[in-house]
Amino acid sequence: MDNPVKIRVENLTFSYHQTPVFEHINLDFNAHAITAITGPSGRGKSTFLSLLNRLWESQPFAKMEGKVWILLDGQWVDIYGKTLSKPDLRRKVGMVFQTPNPLPMSIYKNMAFPLKLTGMTEKALVDAKITAALRQAFLWDEVKDRLHDSAFGLSGGQQQRLCIARALVSQPEILLLDEPTSSLDAGAASVIEDLLVRLKERCTLIVVSHYLDQVSRIADTALKLEARGFLPV
Amino acid sequence: MNIRILGGCLRVFSWGAVLVLTGSVLMLLGYLLVKGVPSLGRDLIFGQVDVLDAVLLKKRVFDGLFPAIAGTLSVVVLSVGLAIPVGVCAGIYMSEFATVFQQRVFGLMFDILAGIPSIVIGLFGFSGAIFIHKYISKDFRPCLAVSVVALAFLVLPYITRTTQAALQGLGDQTRQAALALGATRVQNIFYVLLPRSVSGILSGIILAIGRCAEDTAVIMLTGVVATAGIPGSLLGSYEALPFYIYYISSQYTDAAELMSGYGAAIILLGVCAVLFFLAFLIKRHVAGPAGPARGRFHG
Ligand SMILES: Nc1ncnc2c1ncn2[C@@H]1O[C@H](COP(=O)(O)OP(=O)(O)O)[C@@H](O)[C@H]1O
Ligand SMILES: [Mg+2]
Repeated sequence: MDNPVKIRVENLTFSYHQTPVFEHINLDFNAHAITAITGPSGRGKSTFLSLLNRLWESQPFAKMEGKVWILLDGQWVDIYGKTLSKPDLRRKVGMVFQTPNPLPMSIYKNMAFPLKLTGMTEKALVDAKITAALRQAFLWDEVKDRLHDSAFGLSGGQQQRLCIARALVSQPEILLLDEPTSSLDAGAASVIEDLLVRLKERCTLIVVSHYLDQVSRIADTALKLEARGFLPV
Repeated sequence: MNIRILGGCLRVFSWGAVLVLTGSVLMLLGYLLVKGVPSLGRDLIFGQVDVLDAVLLKKRVFDGLFPAIAGTLSVVVLSVGLAIPVGVCAGIYMSEFATVFQQRVFGLMFDILAGIPSIVIGLFGFSGAIFIHKYISKDFRPCLAVSVVALAFLVLPYITRTTQAALQGLGDQTRQAALALGATRVQNIFYVLLPRSVSGILSGIILAIGRCAEDTAVIMLTGVVATAGIPGSLLGSYEALPFYIYYISSQYTDAAELMSGYGAAIILLGVCAVLFFLAFLIKRHVAGPAGPARGRFHG
């Protein structure tokens, strides 16, 4: 891979309740590529993703040392530094969870939610952004006539694509996906795999996956999480 | 062998306990109905005054329960209305901002407050009224406002604790959804966590309504009287159903008066039932569609 580096993890150490999960990790992630992370359950894959958008900070008794840099507009930004607020960081670094997690509201309101958080209310602009993000997530045709129905009426695969679209609406540069297809059937999973490959042109993706065949289909780089560190596959 | 006998005993005993409980409830309600229903009627509530005149406050009702019903409703609505914002905010603080140590300390305080007998809270309100009378205004005496504040203290711990429990019961998946989309902590609380906890919070409010409606000890010391008419001002005395029941059963002069006490008890139950039903409707309306399964940040 000769893409430039987008994310740089420097000497990162992390523990829950003083039990180390990572020790002195150094790692680079390439821009506009899919990096897959595999490894046994409980090794810290989800935890690792949460270090890149600071979501772990809501957990009690968690402790981190080291640095994480991301390249934004040609500048290396320390995501734990003062230049970038947590909400702004999380708009730049989107996250999709293992189980689709639409909010208990309509499809439209789910999509508008991240925009509402920033105070964007101009309807035409909001609508345009929502339409664009739904198209990018291969979901527009399936939901354009039911935007005001509850998001829970969608199938699992559609819900997961809605969650991807909802993350895309803030135009993130990095997308973290934690086992995004593990709750879906094979058909729905393959739609999402195609989608992720297409999203490379917009974002840098890090995908946690249990499935080695999935990794070989979509990943540009694969890493295996072993006790306290990453190994190339 | 022993275990089997023990198991059998436990079963019979638990069954008996359930039976006693159900029997008591039925007996209580039945007794109340038999005694109270004959006195129920327009006259019990409005006396000799025309219903419309009474409701529109054109004529004062002297020999009916209308002022007591109005008094009880005012006390409940005002004290619960006062306790909700304070209690919910305290619950939010406990669940979302307090450290583990603060949760322990403040939690203990709320539990102590919840355990204080209502007569003591009443006494506290009474002393407060005396204090104001002595040092601030000679015109001040126990009144609706004092009762409302004292009752709000009585029910605050319920609302705080249920709010806290409802918020803390939300799984990481619910908590992280909006945060991951760039919500601040406060946005997350208002847009996601509170709406998802409404149903739990309303259970606390229902408890509080019941507690305020039935309480006699607090109001007896803080402003309720036997005849005051419809409550007209926060600084005036008022009547209330539980106090009427207490008063009539301790000083009745003939059987008919006692009967009206039973009637008042039925009406008190009715008032509570209506308030509970309203709260239940709100709960159903606000709770909205169920969310996805709750779970820990998966492993
Ligand atoms: N909030 C938490 N508090 C304490 N320990 C945690 C917490 N979350 C995860 N862990 C522990 O950290 C380790 C890594 O968890 P996780 O990142 O979920 O692993 P994976 O996603 O690879 O299955 C596990 O041993 C897990 O028990
Ligand atoms: Mg995981």
